[in-house]
Amino acid sequence: MVKLGSYSRSVSIIGVGCTPFMYTLDTPETDGLTEGELFGYAALDAMQDAGVEAKDIDFYFHGQASPKMGSDYLTPNMQVADWFGMRGKGSIHHSEACCTGYLALDQAVNAVASGKFDIVLSGCVEMADSLPVPGMPAHFRKKFSMEEFLATTVWIYDRAYTRPFLSGPVIVFDDAAALYAKENKLSESQIDDVLNAMSINNRRNAAKAPLALCRKEYKDLAAEAGFGDVMDYMRSPHNPKMGEYLRVSGMELKCDGAAAVIVCPTEMASRFKQKPVKVLGIGNAAFEGSQVHLETRGTQEAVRQVYELTKVRPEEIDLFYANDFIITSHLISAEIAGYLPKGEGWKYIMEGRTAYDGDKPINTNGGRTSFGHAHAASGLADLYEAVKQMRGQCGERQVKRLPRTTMLRGFGGGQNLSATILRTAD
Amino acid sequence: MKLERIVKTFYDSLEEGKIMGRRCKRCGAVEFPPVLCCNSCSGTEMEWVEMSGKAKMTDFVLPGILSAKPENEDLMPYSLACVELEEGPRFNTIVCGVARRNKAKLLNELPVPVKARIVQRNGYKIVIFDLAVE
Repeated sequence: MVKLGSYSRSVSIIGVGCTPFMYTLDTPETDGLTEGELFGYAALDAMQDAGVEAKDIDFYFHGQASPKMGSDYLTPNMQVADWFGMRGKGSIHHSEACCTGYLALDQAVNAVASGKFDIVLSGCVEMADSLPVPGMPAHFRKKFSMEEFLATTVWIYDRAYTRPFLSGPVIVFDDAAALYAKENKLSESQIDDVLNAMSINNRRNAAKAPLALCRKEYKDLAAEAGFGDVMDYMRSPHNPKMGEYLRVSGMELKCDGAAAVIVCPTEMASRFKQKPVKVLGIGNAAFEGSQVHLETRGTQEAVRQVYELTKVRPEEIDLFYANDFIITSHLISAEIAGYLPKGEGWKYIMEGRTAYDGDKPINTNGGRTSFGHAHAASGLADLYEAVKQMRGQCGERQVKRLPRTTMLRGFGGGQNLSATILRTAD
Repeated sequence: MKLERIVKTFYDSLEEGKIMGRRCKRCGAVEFPPVLCCNSCSGTEMEWVEMSGKAKMTDFVLPGILSAKPENEDLMPYSLACVELEEGPRFNTIVCGVARRNKAKLLNELPVPVKARIVQRNGYKIVIFDLAVE
């Protein structure tokens, strides 16, 4: 059993940056944006936030889920450096599909905690709504359909057994929902309503988040379609089932975007512009797609590790984020973390208590089903939101009670799990 | 420890009608599908062992639009299932004979016995499972 050791020195977040999550090809103002510009914008945004410049940064990490397909690059860290003033400085690329952005923080924290570097930037970019045009400069891109994308998701699964065994790459859409319904004795219609309520709550949050992809609330969509009750709309053919339980509203909205974070030793952090947010610890687990109930088991292990290391108790968590490209993640991970009471979390969701204005807020930016999913960048977009919430800088979507301690549960990449605990520095 | 072609041996064995796993000589745990070393005790001395084909389905979901692949239509109706072999290993696979008509009954009876069947796909054979009792 893995026992995490303490960091050699404490590490804090001093800056965060994020682009809007968007369909770049769909508007004249964004059509033609490139990976370098998106990554560079997020990195420079994080530097401005921290009050540092590129010359102050020692090293950077670059995350992208699918650089060959999405950017026609094998070494994508090399192609972005000049865009944010880091020419000549060292960097490493990493790729853990949808978990990339969560592990981007892990990489940066380890690099500073080891003592090797003082100020490290970690950024991620994905242009998941379009593909490069072979032989053309980077600003030429073409649309990338959901159908084409789904055909590529098999790339995160083992070729020896998981793909040939026919189940691993697809059971993930419904496995967690079925398990939750079974363990908590929820009927099919009850679990359907719970999943729909999570989508509604996510969208309510996104409606108040200026960087979110999709900001029109489901109640307004329902009214436009002639439904008096939003839940009737959610159960209707306007929101078809794509799996046994999963509906369209519970699936990720893949899109384009980038985000970045800057960290330094906590002892230096007060020199910079913002109130520092300390990274107390990050737990990790991974189960390949052939393994049963992998999300549940992996989350349990990552959460166990980080609680054991940090001695933080579940009741101390004020704010929770989960990578919910399959909406069920949002509920099951919050229960596993003890943020919502076991077996009772679905009631909190149905009552709207997990929206930004509730007492147990989850995914205050709208999560993957509304903020959007620029695959690698999503984890850092959640971190951006968490840090802004912890500083009290979220305007009308600011949660009621200023969060002191936040957990982020990462998930993705056939499949990595992580659990990060942040705390506002004293 | 020897460098050997485990994946090829597994699929070659299916051609001969045998479902093979690997047993750890140190702790006795079985790895299925077979891999190089033991994930229970980290042992590296492994031996090939034939699986009985007896198993139980512990959980399942029915395929939907996203998860029902056209290339598997000949196997319908089936569930996407968690299966535990008599020898111990658990993994995701498919179990034939599960449909909306018998879903509620099967959910009430979990875990239910299943039995392995070797089937031909396009260029190779794989293992799937059938309900042991219809």
